[in-house]
Amino acid sequence: MFNERQLPRLFLLVLLAVVALAAWQWHGPSPLSANLMELVPGGAPDALEQQAEQRMQEPLNRELLVLVGHEDKQQAIVLAQSLASKWQASGLFEKVQWNLQADLPALREQLLQGRLSMLGNADREQLVSHPDDFIQQRLRSLFDPFAGFSLVASQDDWLGLTARIQNSQPHHGSVQLDIGSGALLAEADGKHWVLLRARTLGDAFDMTLPLKVDDLLSAARTQAATANGQLLAASGLLYAANGQRQASREIAWVGGGATVGILLLLLLAFRRWRVLLAFVPVLVGMLFGTTACIALFGHLHVMTLVLGSSLIGVAVDYPLHYLSKAWSLRPWRSWPALRITLPGLSLSLATSCIGYLALAATPFPALTQIAVFSAAGLVGAYLTAVCLLPALLKGVDLQPARWPLALAQRLVNLRQTLLARVASPWLLGLLLAFCAGGLWQLTVKNDIRQWVGAPPRLLEEAQAVARITGYQPTSQFFLVQGADAQQLLAREEALDARLDALVSMNKLQGYLGLSQLLNTPAEQQQLRDALGRLPEHWQPLLALGVPQAALRAELDHLQALPDQSIDQALEGPISEPWRPLWLGANPHGVAAMVSLQGLTNSTLLQVVAQDLPGVKLVDRLGALNQVFAATQVSAAELKLLSCVLIVLLLVLPFGLRGALRIVALPLLAALCSLASLGWLGQPLTLFSLFGLLLVTAISVDYAILMRERIGGTAVSLLGTLLAAATTWLSFGLLAVSSTPAVSNFGLSVSLGLGFSFLLAPWAGSHVKEAQA
Amino acid sequence: MRRLIQTLALMLVALHAQAFDLHELSTQMAKPAVVRGPFVQEKHLRALPMPLTSQGNFVLARDFGLLWLLKTPLQQDYRISPKGIARRDALGWQMLPERNAGSEQNRLFFAVLQGDTSALERDFELQLSGDSQHWQLALTPRSLLLKQIFTQIRISGGPYVERIELSETQGDSTVLRMPQSTSAMTLTDAERKDFVQ
Repeated sequence: MFNERQLPRLFLLVLLAVVALAAWQWHGPSPLSANLMELVPGGAPDALEQQAEQRMQEPLNRELLVLVGHEDKQQAIVLAQSLASKWQASGLFEKVQWNLQADLPALREQLLQGRLSMLGNADREQLVSHPDDFIQQRLRSLFDPFAGFSLVASQDDWLGLTARIQNSQPHHGSVQLDIGSGALLAEADGKHWVLLRARTLGDAFDMTLPLKVDDLLSAARTQAATANGQLLAASGLLYAANGQRQASREIAWVGGGATVGILLLLLLAFRRWRVLLAFVPVLVGMLFGTTACIALFGHLHVMTLVLGSSLIGVAVDYPLHYLSKAWSLRPWRSWPALRITLPGLSLSLATSCIGYLALAATPFPALTQIAVFSAAGLVGAYLTAVCLLPALLKGVDLQPARWPLALAQRLVNLRQTLLARVASPWLLGLLLAFCAGGLWQLTVKNDIRQWVGAPPRLLEEAQAVARITGYQPTSQFFLVQGADAQQLLAREEALDARLDALVSMNKLQGYLGLSQLLNTPAEQQQLRDALGRLPEHWQPLLALGVPQAALRAELDHLQALPDQSIDQALEGPISEPWRPLWLGANPHGVAAMVSLQGLTNSTLLQVVAQDLPGVKLVDRLGALNQVFAATQVSAAELKLLSCVLIVLLLVLPFGLRGALRIVALPLLAALCSLASLGWLGQPLTLFSLFGLLLVTAISVDYAILMRERIGGTAVSLLGTLLAAATTWLSFGLLAVSSTPAVSNFGLSVSLGLGFSFLLAPWAGSHVKEAQA
Repeated sequence: MRRLIQTLALMLVALHAQAFDLHELSTQMAKPAVVRGPFVQEKHLRALPMPLTSQGNFVLARDFGLLWLLKTPLQQDYRISPKGIARRDALGWQMLPERNAGSEQNRLFFAVLQGDTSALERDFELQLSGDSQHWQLALTPRSLLLKQIFTQIRISGGPYVERIELSETQGDSTVLRMPQSTSAMTLTDAERKDFVQ
């Protein structure tokens, strides 16, 4: 079937080609990615919603919010100033802002032009319905020394509309302008805090940027500390930096731990240095996995690498298949050993690939990547084990240690003793009772937050920044659509009314929407009409000495102000916070967002959007959590489907009964793992389910080994034990990951492996009598 | 910017000048616990031939804050205290919502009240002339932001501040005259009640 001389050379050629491809893939910018959102389902059903989400996400991934604190205000300002100039010079940031450089002439111009379009609801209402009160208030403000300064001189705005607009602007947060320095200041915890905002040139998903920003921040912290100051920072960039550092640490731990453990195991069992060559298929497997992923997706996510590093334990199983025959095959020679185990090896590759590729069919890009990585990795490891490794091990005379076989024999005997006392059906009954009890206690938990293992320090700082500044943006927002600006703004006003109710009930701190900045064209017209009637009421102003001609001229000017469009309204400096909310025109009309601040209960929002036409609540995290839950069901279906496929595959060599038995055991093992999670009080998450999906595929392998029983029950059990031990070494280590999702995965695979090993001997029990 | 707070801050800065220096001025101003008297406020608007004139009484209490009681042409009471600005209506004192620069100015004022003069010297260049009986203090804003609002603020007086003039960049100006101030050791009961309420 194959030529044992040419095969290794042929394979080396293939390997060389893959290495060349990999070298080409990595020669440019790093194809590694850390974007969490790439790992979750694409979600947003339509382009508009997607655009809105990107707009809302962008600042989170590019902006850094820093509070520079010191007990002395002046010191805090000096610190912030030096920090800002240092960061600006770093070249990492597009903009570093610590003070407000207000362009007053532009502000004045916008206020004057916006007197009709920007006047707040309450003021408009007063001017329209109670013009006498309106004039009286204006009179009082002219004498009020504390009315606050108006940017516009009285003679340019006799009616005082610009001051009213200034005063009605929503003012979120507790940050105050320091008029001397222009710094934005807050006071809390006995310190003065200067707000510094930095916007990076790239985003958080650039692999090197978050680390650079994090380093810069650390240096700034040290600098601030020497001046007795303190820094608090919040940014998606810091989470990204943390995630990257954590991932590389975990890859080192899981990968390194598994490698060391497996190498030790190989040495202990086979007592030959050259047996360490069995690790070559693992390395080739990793190379294949990485290369295939980058070729298919254009990049490789760090989380794939973390989970993928567990492949080490599975890939090493292929060489173990024939290495473990050294206990029965005397003398052991590499090619003959391979020849007897080849059918089993190939079946094992096929079943594992089916299991992994079932993961690929879920709507999670993360799992697709992991599946592709693993399947390609397994193919690589298999090819190496079959084509290259026997040549490398040629002439090695394995003298394996006796103790593992003795141990396996003891286990086999133990099982026999057990079976002699209690028959299999009774054991099965007990096991099912155990499962029922465990499943009864199993709880389900799905949360996107499981994907992020953010350290408490980052969270605490983000909370402190939110508390001190009062900026508490929420991930939910409203998407409002209308046929034209009039309809859009009217719909937003309907929404505002409901949001105002939430604000007054303290359920919401505030919100930001275009309707706060701009009146509808109809309302602007209403104001023109009301102004036309104002001369009947303005006698008190004339009594003060305001020339009638001046008032008349102002009125004419106001009434001639054209309707302001949304685009015009967004031009001036006041409009800056609103600009990202405007999504512009689309084939169905126009659209904008309403963002929220300081939300206490997200379920209330669903009610708010109800029966408001054109208003939609976008809750990406909530939707994702729902997708998680829905995916659990489809994952279970996939699991069954993959089992059917495996049964079909196994019918040829083992017959239908044998195939069913081989597949039933891993399924039972999965059930036991589920029950154990229940008994342990661990929730069932999407990740534990995926883990079980995987473990079924892997443990079919054990059942096959035990079914074939090449070299006797004890030798097969030993082979299974070695395979399970190496696999457990890599997956079990995942359980220590600080990312909840990853550790969940590790735990469920570990449990599954344990049960699979325990149950595997039953794969062969009914043929035993025939052969024995 | 609340003109009066600014003004008051300046009055207290008056507490710090040379020859007859800022320090002597500050000592002189810090002496009385309570200063009270009538005021006349004239708002000179470029477009009006006549200033908008209002009159009333004020009470400046070193340890409490300021009462500003406008009598004509309309009646309105204001109070500035560490808590913020309040306005009296039919129901009693109502705190005004703190807005942007205003409350920061308020804090500035009280920082000065407590002898933290570095705050004002940071924002303004101070120039003092005259002697303890007839002094003039000119404040020129340092920061770009303040320069866009005020060109200059001039304060003059003797034992007490007598005249404050704020010249706004846009051309309007406000003149506050307090010609007949007297000092006292304590507040009256009515005044005290207004402060603590």
